[in-house]
Amino acid sequence: MIEAYHLSKVYSRGVYALRDLTLKIEKGEFLFLTGPSGAGKSTLLRLLLCAETPSEGQLKVGGRVLTDLSTSEMQAYRRTVGFVFQDFRLIPRFTVFQNVAFVMRVLGVDVPTQQRKTYQVLKWVGLQHRMNAYPEELSGGEQQRVAIARALVNDPHLILADEPTGNLDPDLALDIMNLFRDINARGTTVLVATHDREMIRRVGRKALTLEHGRLAGGA
Amino acid sequence: MHLLRYTLDEAAMSLWRGRRSSLLSTATIAIALFVTGAFLVVTSNLERLAQEWSGAAEMSVYLADQVTGTDRASIERTLRAAPVVLDVQFVSKEQALGRFRQTFPDLAGTLGSLDENPLPASLEVRLQSSADAQQGIDALVSSVRTMSGVSDVRYDKEWLDRLLRGLRVLRVVGFSLAGALILAAALTIGNVVRLALNARHDEIEIMHLVGAPTTYVRGPFVMEGALHGGLGALVALVALAATYALLRTPFLVPLASALNLSTVRFLPAPVALSLLAGGLGVGALAGVIASRRA
Repeated sequence: MIEAYHLSKVYSRGVYALRDLTLKIEKGEFLFLTGPSGAGKSTLLRLLLCAETPSEGQLKVGGRVLTDLSTSEMQAYRRTVGFVFQDFRLIPRFTVFQNVAFVMRVLGVDVPTQQRKTYQVLKWVGLQHRMNAYPEELSGGEQQRVAIARALVNDPHLILADEPTGNLDPDLALDIMNLFRDINARGTTVLVATHDREMIRRVGRKALTLEHGRLAGGA
Repeated sequence: MHLLRYTLDEAAMSLWRGRRSSLLSTATIAIALFVTGAFLVVTSNLERLAQEWSGAAEMSVYLADQVTGTDRASIERTLRAAPVVLDVQFVSKEQALGRFRQTFPDLAGTLGSLDENPLPASLEVRLQSSADAQQGIDALVSSVRTMSGVSDVRYDKEWLDRLLRGLRVLRVVGFSLAGALILAAALTIGNVVRLALNARHDEIEIMHLVGAPTTYVRGPFVMEGALHGGLGALVALVALAATYALLRTPFLVPLASALNLSTVRFLPAPVALSLLAGGLGVGALAGVIASRRA
C-alpha cells in the first residue's frame, strides 16, 4: 500500500525532517508511527497527504508515485485518504452534521447521499444525537469523533492520524484508539502518529519508531 | 448544476457575513460604472448630434440691422447662384424672436423687457452635405462673409468640427476617469474577496485535503467577486436611469431642442447590458486574481 524509498525531506537551513527513509506498509495494516517530537512523524504524514513534496527519494501509495500525480490526480488520490489531526480542525460555524457533510458537499455529492452517509457515520462514532451541536458545545473526545467521522465519510482506503489523542485524557484516548481499531477491522489501512508509548502498548499494534528522521526500528 | 448552486450559496453567504465591506466594494463599482454610463449617455447623444448636424449641413448668414434691400438681394443672388446651395430661406427679426420665445420660454420675458428686438434677421442656407461640396462651401463662406450688409456667417461645419474635437477630448477624459475608477473598484473587490478568503482559511485547507476540485475551492470567491460587480452595476444602472428621468424634462429636452437634436436618448439596451456584464466581469476577474492562492 505505502512504499517509501530513500525518502528525505530537508527544510530550510539544511534541517532534515526525514533522512533516507525506506519502509513498506501493507494494505489493511494498523501501524503506529512513534518517536520523540521532531522525529519526522508528522512530516511523513504530510508527505502522504501530498501537503508537502519529498526533497529526495520516492513515495508510492497504491503503486503510484505521489510526486508524479497531476493536480487532478492528486485531488482524486486525496479523496481516498482520510485525515485526523490533534487539534480536530472542525469548522466552528458549521454544526457537527455540516462539518461531516462538508467534505461530500465540496466533492459534488448529491444532497440525499450526503445526508444518508453523514447520519450513518455519525451513528457509527456514536454522535448521532449531537449532530445539530456546534463544535464549541462538544467535549474534546466528541470533537475528535466528529473529525474521525469526517475522515471516514468518503470511505477512504487509508486513514492518517497525527497525534489524534494528544489533547485527550487517557480514557477518552483509548476510546478513540478503539474507533481506529474498528476502522481498521473494516479493511482500511490506518497509520497513527503518536509519541504516547503507553497508548501503543495498550492498543497492542505494530509500531515504527522514527528518530532524527530515520527509522530506528519496530516497537 | 451542483457546482453552480454550491458557489452561489457560499458566495451569497459570504457576502452577507461581510456585508459592511461588501457595501464598500459594491459602492465603488457602482460609482465607477455610473461615471462610465454617464459618459456613455453624453457621448452617444453628442455623436448623434454630430451625425444629425453633418446630415443637414446649414449655413446662417446674419444680416446687419441696417442692411439695404439691394444688399440683401445681392447676397441672396450670390447664395442661390452657388452650386453647393440647395435652398435659401429668409428669417426676419420677428421670426427669429418668435423662435427664441418658443425654444426658451423662461427667457422670453427678459427679451420682452428690452426696447428693441436684439435678434438679427438671417438667411438660412441649406447646403449639399457631400464631401465633394466642401471646397465650394468654404469658398462661399469666405466670399459671403465680406459682402456688404452681412454681420456674421455661421457655418455648422465649424461647429461640427468643434463638436467632434470636444467629443474626442471628452471621450479620452471620460474613459480615462472611468478606467481609473473601475481599476480602483476592482482592487477594492479583490481586497474584500481576499478578506473573505482569509476568514475561511481553515475551510479551504480542509477542502484541499479532502481533494475538492479547484472549481469548488475557488469558485465561491470568483462568484463573490462577480456578485459584488453585478450588484454594483445594477445599482449604477438604476441610479443612472433615475438621474436621467429626473433631468430629462427640465434640462435635457430643452437643451436638445436648442442644439437642434431630435431627441435625447438613454443608454441603448445592449450598452446597458454590456455595463452589467462589465460589472460582473470585472468582479469575477478580481475574484479570480484574489483567489489564485486559495
